[in-house]
Amino acid sequence: MWHIAKRELSNNLNSLRFALATVLLLGLMLTNAVVHLREHPERVQRYRERVSGHQNNIAAQASNSLYDLAQKGPGYLYKKPSDLRFCAEGGEAFMSDRAQAGYHRWSTDTLKSFWILAYPSATPNLDNVRPDVTKVDWGFIIGYVLSLVALLFTYDSISGERERGTLRLTLSNPIPRHTVLIGKFLGAFISVSIPFILAVLVNLLVISTSSGVHLDSEAWGRLGIIFFVAVLYTCLFLALGMLVSARVQRSAVSLVILLLVWVVFVVFMPSTLASIAGRSTSSGPTYDFSERSWKLHEELSSDYYSRHYEAPEGSTKKIEIDGEYVTKDAEQQEQLHEERLNRRIAEVHRARAITRISPVTIVQNLIESFAGTGFERHLQFLENVQTYVREFRTFIVDTDSADPESLHIFGVRTGMSQEPVSPESVPKFEDTLNLSRDFNTAATELLLLTLFVLVLLSGAYLAFVRVEV
Amino acid sequence: MLTLIRRELLDNLMTFRFAAAVFIMLLLVVSNTVVLIKDYERRLVDYNTAVKTHHQQLQDKKTYSAGGLHVDRPPNPLSIFNIGMDKQLGNQVEVYFGFVPTLWDAKMHGSDNPIMNIFSSIDIAFIFKVVLSLLALIFAYDTLAGEREQGTLRLVLTHPVRRGHILFAKYISAMVCLLVPLLMSVSLAVILLTTSTSLALSTDDFLRMAGFILTTIVYLSVFYLIGMLISALTRRTGTALMLSMFVWGFWVLIYPNMILASILPQPTVEARAASTFNQIEQLWEEFEREQEQYLKNDAVPGEDPGFGIGWVGGSMNRLNKDAATLQYYYKKGFNITEIDERSEPQMPYIQNYYQFLVPLTIDLADRTWRIRKPALEKIYVRPALIDRILLKVSPIGMYDAATQAWVGTDLLGIQDFFSAARQYRKTVIDFFYDKNAFASRQWIAADKGVADWRTLPQFSFQRSGISINATRALPDLFLLLITNVVLFVVIFLIFVKTEV
Repeated sequence: MWHIAKRELSNNLNSLRFALATVLLLGLMLTNAVVHLREHPERVQRYRERVSGHQNNIAAQASNSLYDLAQKGPGYLYKKPSDLRFCAEGGEAFMSDRAQAGYHRWSTDTLKSFWILAYPSATPNLDNVRPDVTKVDWGFIIGYVLSLVALLFTYDSISGERERGTLRLTLSNPIPRHTVLIGKFLGAFISVSIPFILAVLVNLLVISTSSGVHLDSEAWGRLGIIFFVAVLYTCLFLALGMLVSARVQRSAVSLVILLLVWVVFVVFMPSTLASIAGRSTSSGPTYDFSERSWKLHEELSSDYYSRHYEAPEGSTKKIEIDGEYVTKDAEQQEQLHEERLNRRIAEVHRARAITRISPVTIVQNLIESFAGTGFERHLQFLENVQTYVREFRTFIVDTDSADPESLHIFGVRTGMSQEPVSPESVPKFEDTLNLSRDFNTAATELLLLTLFVLVLLSGAYLAFVRVEV
Repeated sequence: MLTLIRRELLDNLMTFRFAAAVFIMLLLVVSNTVVLIKDYERRLVDYNTAVKTHHQQLQDKKTYSAGGLHVDRPPNPLSIFNIGMDKQLGNQVEVYFGFVPTLWDAKMHGSDNPIMNIFSSIDIAFIFKVVLSLLALIFAYDTLAGEREQGTLRLVLTHPVRRGHILFAKYISAMVCLLVPLLMSVSLAVILLTTSTSLALSTDDFLRMAGFILTTIVYLSVFYLIGMLISALTRRTGTALMLSMFVWGFWVLIYPNMILASILPQPTVEARAASTFNQIEQLWEEFEREQEQYLKNDAVPGEDPGFGIGWVGGSMNRLNKDAATLQYYYKKGFNITEIDERSEPQMPYIQNYYQFLVPLTIDLADRTWRIRKPALEKIYVRPALIDRILLKVSPIGMYDAATQAWVGTDLLGIQDFFSAARQYRKTVIDFFYDKNAFASRQWIAADKGVADWRTLPQFSFQRSGISINATRALPDLFLLLITNVVLFVVIFLIFVKTEV
């Protein structure tokens, strides 16, 4: 077996395709590293500035009074840019990098609306008249280029030998067929891995030696997983190549079939399926949303005003009615925003589920998950935001109940603690990534990918064992 | 010659790759056309809603100065062929007398679910770019190398046929074979388009499609010739195929995505933006001084632009300022519903003031535009132009540019809309002059008669004529043709010189 693998390897190493693949992958990975080094420090810098601005904002309100803090809320919460952005760009441009934990709607002479948690959409860059192209990230390099290279290394592995007649020669020796197959597979695998590993090493070398980007140990672990995913994905295409190569008499036909399969599954499936899934469902136009929001507020207001004027002036009852109005309104509106967000997320989930038929989508989703970018990461960010918001609200309630002078009526200035709060005690938002969570979300896809590989490998085995030489 | 063509044609038609090509093209084009028509319909609904809302908003405005006019860019029905910049750039812009609108001031209609944009969508040109080029190479790789391997080339050349004729026959027959799946899929797509009720296609549109198909054929031929060149250069079909695939991967997948990432942004542009923005700010300062001067010299003492009248209603004075897009203007409007009886004698003065001020603002806007236009060209359009030129090193880039020009979704096509919006601004200003709106009471107040918008001409945007599309597409089409000729000559020279 090792003998066959070695023979395949030395055959491949001297070939034109090996040289071309090496040059191609190296060039792509270098571009990727250079672009990352150019863009990432800027991104991190911007994030830091925003976060410190946000902290100052909280401190200013906290030193005013607890009411101010409770009414204005913590303000914008920002998504932390991932250090592994070079692995997967993940459509980050279409997802907002912030959540608005301080969305104000109205104020009257005596009352101010309480903040709610809103989810602003990403603002598309409409100034950009430059042509739109795919970002050269690891996802692209692995998903598109590496898969093509894997096919180009295997399309003639069996049919080529059959054409030349050497297959008959090999099989006349007392070696079982599966050994031949595994040997060939290993040989092709190693010869694809060499240029890829070389390119990855150069890429990481450039990125890690630069002072602008810092990769911690967890990031290296994540890179390891991404590399493993890439290897699995390569195996899938190697197996596919061998399967077709075993079934087909001529290697030219084998390549034509493989290329067409590749084009359909890798290039077209993801976008077409997503479009079909996305267009078939619609979550209702935007103006409906503002109308509903307005209607809810109106209903609540008319009810409130009748009760407000009945209550005697200056009584605790009146404060209670005011407070109830403000808090109820905030609750309702926040729920509306959350409902819309959930509807949007559900729609994207549906579209993503369908596109999983294509292996390239699976691998790109996996890389995104582990690189900390993309849709799953966005969901995690939103979860972090919601956890933080709960924490913040508990903090407000606790601080208020600690003040004996407060009436403990939320929503109105007179009903709440007027004491300033020490800015240090206010909980701080931290956008953290959780590797085990990433594993959980990625598990299905990881299994699906493994399943694909196993099916194709056994398919290749069966095809090769059954076939006449 | 004809016998040669017939032989080649029969050879090609009976192959597996021909069947596969037809199947794949039909599958991809039909399924994507259905999706693309759906997408277009959705955008059309968005557009119609926006037009209706903007119309209603204008009718609700009771004074002339408060009128916020918005014009909307309809989606291009031919964007199904090449989406270009149709979805990427803003599709609604405000037309205000005190500001000249550009592409960089446009906004986007709201969308149901912005996150769905993470899924890329593809157009027919993309299918052709990727699949047709691949098919062309698959058809071409063995034309010469294959015959050489089998030894039939030697046989053919023993006959008294000229080598040029052999090449030409091979080229013609393969192109005919490749045209079958192309034309079949395109005609199915066109049938789908014409049966869809939401798409209104004009004669010009069919001519544009013809231009698109013509460009596609020329593009296809470039890739076929590239494959033939590789085939002429190599001894073995295996090597030819391998080389073809890498060449394809490089030109189609890698080059367009890599080249734009590797060019550096220019720092000088930002400095230029800052200095132009300064200039514009100065113009406005000057304008404010003139305003003060007027208030000082008029018959009413004091410099109060409100002339001390008592009123009830709303007013707006918003500064729109964006250093990145060189946007700087004040938007002023009043919506006075009630005027204090005692202030009535002041009204003629305030009317005179606006009769002086508004034409001055219009003039200022035009002057600002003269500074802003070349600066925007420098900052935004030129880098985009350089990008496009770099992309044109690959036949993909040429094809993309030419087809976008044909269907009118290129940058120039989108900018046509904004020139129409600018033209419409002039119409609106003329409308104001006709009504003598600036000096009228309805400019600021709606207490005695409201603004009359009924005679305001409607905005309509006609896409540029087919001749303009053709002029824009021709340079790139020409470039593709030249590439064809050069490739053919090179192949001919190589083929004539080689030993069989």
